[in-house]
Amino acid sequence: MSVAIEATGLHKSYRDGERSVDVLRGADLSVEPGEFVAVVGPSGSGKSTLLHLLGALDVPDAGSIEIGGTAVAGLDPVEAARFRNRTIGFVFQFQELLADFDALENVMMPGKIAGWRSGRARDRALELLAEVGLEDRSDHFPNQLSGGERQRVALCRALLLEPPLLLADEPTGNLDPESAVRVFDLMIALQEGHGTTALVVTHNPALANRCGRLLQLDGGRLEAFAGASGSG
Amino acid sequence: MLGSGSSSVSLLVARRYLRSTRRDAFISFLTFTAAAGLALGVAALILALAMLTGFQSALKEEILARTPEIEIQLPTATGYAEAAEIRHAVTELPEVGAAQLVTRGQGWVTAEGRVRAVELIGFEGELPASFPEASDRAEGLYLGARLADAWGLEPGQVVEVASSKPTLSPFGPQPRVRRLPIHGRYASGRTDLTDRVALPLEQAAGLLGSRGYRVQVATGDLQKALVLAPELDGLVPAGTAIRTWRELNRGLFFALRLEKSLMFVAVFLIVAVASLALVSDLTLIIASKRREVGILGAMGTDPGALRRIFTLLGGLLAGLGVAVGGAVGLGLALFLDRTRLIRIPTGVYFLDYVPFDVRPFDVAVILVATVTVALIGAGYAARRAAALQPVEALRR
Repeated sequence: MSVAIEATGLHKSYRDGERSVDVLRGADLSVEPGEFVAVVGPSGSGKSTLLHLLGALDVPDAGSIEIGGTAVAGLDPVEAARFRNRTIGFVFQFQELLADFDALENVMMPGKIAGWRSGRARDRALELLAEVGLEDRSDHFPNQLSGGERQRVALCRALLLEPPLLLADEPTGNLDPESAVRVFDLMIALQEGHGTTALVVTHNPALANRCGRLLQLDGGRLEAFAGASGSG
Repeated sequence: MLGSGSSSVSLLVARRYLRSTRRDAFISFLTFTAAAGLALGVAALILALAMLTGFQSALKEEILARTPEIEIQLPTATGYAEAAEIRHAVTELPEVGAAQLVTRGQGWVTAEGRVRAVELIGFEGELPASFPEASDRAEGLYLGARLADAWGLEPGQVVEVASSKPTLSPFGPQPRVRRLPIHGRYASGRTDLTDRVALPLEQAAGLLGSRGYRVQVATGDLQKALVLAPELDGLVPAGTAIRTWRELNRGLFFALRLEKSLMFVAVFLIVAVASLALVSDLTLIIASKRREVGILGAMGTDPGALRRIFTLLGGLLAGLGVAVGGAVGLGLALFLDRTRLIRIPTGVYFLDYVPFDVRPFDVAVILVATVTVALIGAGYAARRAAALQPVEALRR
């Protein structure tokens, strides 16, 4: 299952003391269902901001976002939460797992939030953990896992509900090169296997080049990636 | 579907967060302080109210043993014959166990040059039940044990009983005095402000003049007496005052209720302070879980469910404190009451130990009030978690 993304004229600015910083200045984005898109750009260019807007975690100052036909910016907090739960799987840079839950419980969590029966969530979570080679680490807590293992758990968690859209913010940014490649390989395999639309923000041009399409965020706007020199 | 799912998730996360409070030294200390404060408040409330209720029950028992269940005060113009008829009519009622004609007034008892102001109570038939622990209840003069002991008076000795109502004589007003032998004694109440002296109705009427008669009614059941009192209206002439044990002691019973309410409020301050500690503890926990709140939000936990997580966490902490405090308070109260461990020097008070009377209603009020206040505090703190935007929480 996959969805299309249509974002037009996205503006977002932040206040930094007295100063207003314009992060996005009319960014447009169009992603086909099932496409794997990488967004690169220097630090502070607004990559994470773009991801937060697309993920209904934040609202744009101007512009519109439609994901699978749903106008994301108009959702109230409860609708936005439901939308995130059903439509989007997030992977963050710092393998954001819940410290008080083991790997299996972390993966099951979106299912619990969606009201799935425990058995169903557990079966599906174990399948996913097996897919990423962590079946024997399911009862380990985050502090007992390596960075790469944590990110693989986070990937499983993002895919538990088979969301039509996967958003990843520097998913390999905090991993050693070997783990980074392994996690990215898995992400591509899972994205292809599940047919999910995916948008990945990354600093790593080598990994970004493996995505179907490469975009660059520069001056608050998105454009086709011009070359390795543009990435940070 | 999401709603029911988010409720169970809230409880699941709250339970895990309760366990994880042990990991951080500061949070662990604050959590312990908040829960222990609530436990202390609940235990103190149970003990304080049980002790007060114990004293009040003993006091009420003492007072009620010396108060008629119902007293019908006939108009002063009512003569003996009419009063006796009314007494008879009241006795005929099926609910009435006994009805007795009495008269009351002020006077003095003098013996061997000593004098004591007393309340004179004239009675017909047997000594009324409001004079407890008399060995023999036949007609005659009865003194309180306290007065008899103080003066060294024994049954058979003669004392002078004088009334405040004078008789006019050629030499001016003269006090009315009777010399009467002591028939017996009754147990003085430590709560009696003036000594009471019981004497035959005929003698009392002679001493007190036309003070008016009263009919004291006993049913054997205080609650039944309250129901019966209004039904007596039809049997008595206009101008009659009918008072139950509750009305006869209205001021005192009100004071006792007030005392208990004020005690509750004063000791409940411990709970209020502990609830504030709970608010700061939850605020610290929310701050330490800030990023997790953001992740939960990103996964689709709505603001209501986020608020529920921390309200439930507060509820669980409060529940823990209340359970421990309740067990300690109840255990101590029952132990102290059973063993009578805390003694009061004999003669200082009307009891020689501190009684503890635990009332289920009091305990229920304490538990409900404590949990409610703690939940209000927790809900207030939890609003911060709900107000946290996932994007703000995720920002490093």
